[in-house]
Amino acid sequence: MMSVTISVVETINLRKTYLLGKVPVNALQGVNLKVESGDFIAVLGPSGSGKSTLLNLIGALDKPTEGKMLIESVDVSTLNDNQLADLRRRIGFVFQFFNLIPRFTAIENVELSMTISGLSKAERRKRAEDLLETVGLRERMNHKPAELSGGEQQRVAIARALANNPKFLLMDEPTGNIDSKTASEIIGLIKRLNEEKAVTIIMVTHDQRLAGQSKRIVQMFDGLIVQEVVN
Amino acid sequence: MRAQDILSFSFSAIKLRKLRAGLTTLGVVIGIAAIVALLSITQGLQDTITRQLQTGFATDTLIVSTGGGFGLGAQGGVGAADSGFKLFVNDTQTINEIENVSMSMAIIQKVGYVQFGGKNRTTTIVGVDFAEYANIYSSTFVAESGDIPLNPENDTVVVGQRVSDPWKNRTLFCYVNDNVEIIWTNATARPSKNVTYTGHVAAVLKEIGGFGVGPSDSSVYIPISQAQSFFGTDECDMIIVKLKNDDKTTIDSVSKVIKEAFSNEASVTSATAVLNILSSVFSIIQLFLGGIAAISLLVAGIGIMNIMIVSLMERTREIGILKALGMKSRTVLLVFLCESVIIGLMGAAIGIASGWVLANVVSVAFASFSGGGGPFMGNQATGTIRMTITPVLTPTVFLGALAFGVGVSVIFALYPAWRASKLKPVEALRYE
Repeated sequence: MMSVTISVVETINLRKTYLLGKVPVNALQGVNLKVESGDFIAVLGPSGSGKSTLLNLIGALDKPTEGKMLIESVDVSTLNDNQLADLRRRIGFVFQFFNLIPRFTAIENVELSMTISGLSKAERRKRAEDLLETVGLRERMNHKPAELSGGEQQRVAIARALANNPKFLLMDEPTGNIDSKTASEIIGLIKRLNEEKAVTIIMVTHDQRLAGQSKRIVQMFDGLIVQEVVN
Repeated sequence: MRAQDILSFSFSAIKLRKLRAGLTTLGVVIGIAAIVALLSITQGLQDTITRQLQTGFATDTLIVSTGGGFGLGAQGGVGAADSGFKLFVNDTQTINEIENVSMSMAIIQKVGYVQFGGKNRTTTIVGVDFAEYANIYSSTFVAESGDIPLNPENDTVVVGQRVSDPWKNRTLFCYVNDNVEIIWTNATARPSKNVTYTGHVAAVLKEIGGFGVGPSDSSVYIPISQAQSFFGTDECDMIIVKLKNDDKTTIDSVSKVIKEAFSNEASVTSATAVLNILSSVFSIIQLFLGGIAAISLLVAGIGIMNIMIVSLMERTREIGILKALGMKSRTVLLVFLCESVIIGLMGAAIGIASGWVLANVVSVAFASFSGGGGPFMGNQATGTIRMTITPVLTPTVFLGALAFGVGVSVIFALYPAWRASKLKPVEALRYE
C-alpha cells in the first residue's frame, strides 16, 4: 500500500530496553505505528505496558534501542543533540503533572517555548495572549501556577504546547491529575483542537471517556500493540 | 534563544533564591574587597615613597659613597665590608672633570648635638657647600624663615624644621638668630672628648617630610669648610654629583667612569636605580598580598560551585522541561554560566567599592596612628619617616579585580553548568 501523504509519525519495529537497577526491562518489544496528519490517537494499556516509553520516543526525548523512529520521514536516531532540540520545539508535549515553571506566570509559561525558539518579546506576547484566549484563560494570564487550579494549569500547558505550531501534540495522561468535571472541559478542548484546528494528537490515557473521543484507540500490552480500534 | 532572554531567565532564577545567592555573592565581595584594599594600599605606599624619594633624591644626581651597596639612609652602604677606601672632599675635582657632570659636592656628616637654653637635641651635623646644595636640592633646601647665605660665615648654621620645632606645636627649640652650641663627641680621640663651637642660626628650613639622601627636617647644616676643621678631617661621607641630564645613558656612563676613577671601590647610586629596585620590591609585595587575598576568592569560588550544584539538583525537573520544550544543551549551559557571571559581576563590583572604602579607612587610621606619635628624637633615619598613604586604585587593579571575580565565578560554575547541560530530558523529567 503506497500512501501519498507522508506519515507525521512512523515507528518501525521499535524496541526499547532499559536497566532497572541491574535488571533489563523490555519496555517496547517491536511497536509498529503510523500516525497521519489530523489523527487523534488514544493509547490505552495497563501500567508497565510501555505507553509512556512510546510517548517519550515519539517526543524525541529518548532514543530507541532498536528499530526506527521516523518523524516526517526523518530517522530520529540520526539526529545530533542540537537537531533533536530543534525537533522538540516542533512537538507539543503535555504532561500529566503539567510541568509548568512555578516562578513564571501563566503567560510567561506559554511564552517560554517561543522564548526558546528565539521569538521577540512582542511576537510571543501577542501569540501567548491568543493561545490563552483559545484555552479560555486570558483573564488569568498573570497568575502563577500555584494560584491556578489543576484544570487551569493543564490548559496553560496545552497553550504552551501549541505555541510553536507543533507537528503534533503528545499528551501523557492529560486528565490523569484533574477532577472529573474539569476533565470534561479539557476533553472538550482537546477534541475541539483536533476537529477545528486539525491538530494531530497522540495521547496516552486511562480515561475511557477521553479515549472515546479519539479517532483511533491503540491498545498496548507488555510492550506490544495488541489491538487497534477505529472509532 | 536570544541573549537578553537568557539573561532574564538567569536573573529570575537568582531572584528565586535571594538569600542563598546573596551569601554566595558576599563570598566574592570579601575576596575582591581584600584584593582591592591590599593592592591599592600597597600602590599608595609605593607612590608615596617614590614621590618622596624623587623630591629628596633628584633624578639627575648620583651619590658617590664608600659603601658597597645602595643605601636609602644618609650613611651610605648597608652592611658593606670595610675595604679601607675613603672619599675626600677634594675628590670632587676628579669628578667634575668627567663628561656630562655639571658639578659635584662633598658632604661630611656626623651625629652630634645642638644645645640651646640648657637643652640638648641629638641631630645629624651636615657639612655642605650651601650654594651648591641649594642648587641641587632647589625644592627642599629652602628657608622658611631667615635666609640661607650663599657665602656663609664659619659660624653660620641652617637648621631643619624639626630641630627648630621638634613637637610640631610651635614650642620652639631654637629659631633664627639664636646662638646654639654645636657639640660633637670625637670618639677616635683618646680619651674621647667633646668638641664644641657656637653657631648662629641663619635660617630654618621649610618642612620637607619624607626621606631620602637630600635635606632632612632633623639635620643641622654647617658650611663644609667649617665641618672640615670642626671634625678635623677632609674625609667625606658622600659626594653628590649633579648631571647635565637624567638620561639613562648619561647616568650609566658617568656611574661607570666614577667607579673606574676610584678603582671600583666607590659605590655610585642613582635615584633611578633605587626607584627601579623599589618598584620591583613592591611588585613582589603586591603579588604576595594579592595572592593571599586570592585564596579567599578561591573559597568564594567553591561557594559558587556549591550553590550551583544545589541549584542544579533543585532544578533538574525544570531543566527537563526546558529540554522537552526544545532548549539546546548549549543554552542550558549558558543559562547556568550566566547566573554565575551575574553573581561574580555583582560581587566584584560591590567588592571593588568596599575594598576601596576599606583601603581609605585603613589609610586614615594609619595616618592618625603614625602622625600623632609625637616628636621623634634621633637622627635622620628615624626622624623623618612620617607619611600619609593615599590608596591608589589603578585601572589595572580595577579591571583585574573585575575580571578575576567574574573569572573565578565562571570557572567554578563550569562543572555544574556542564552537568546541567548533559542531563537527559527523560531522566530529568522523572526527577522528583
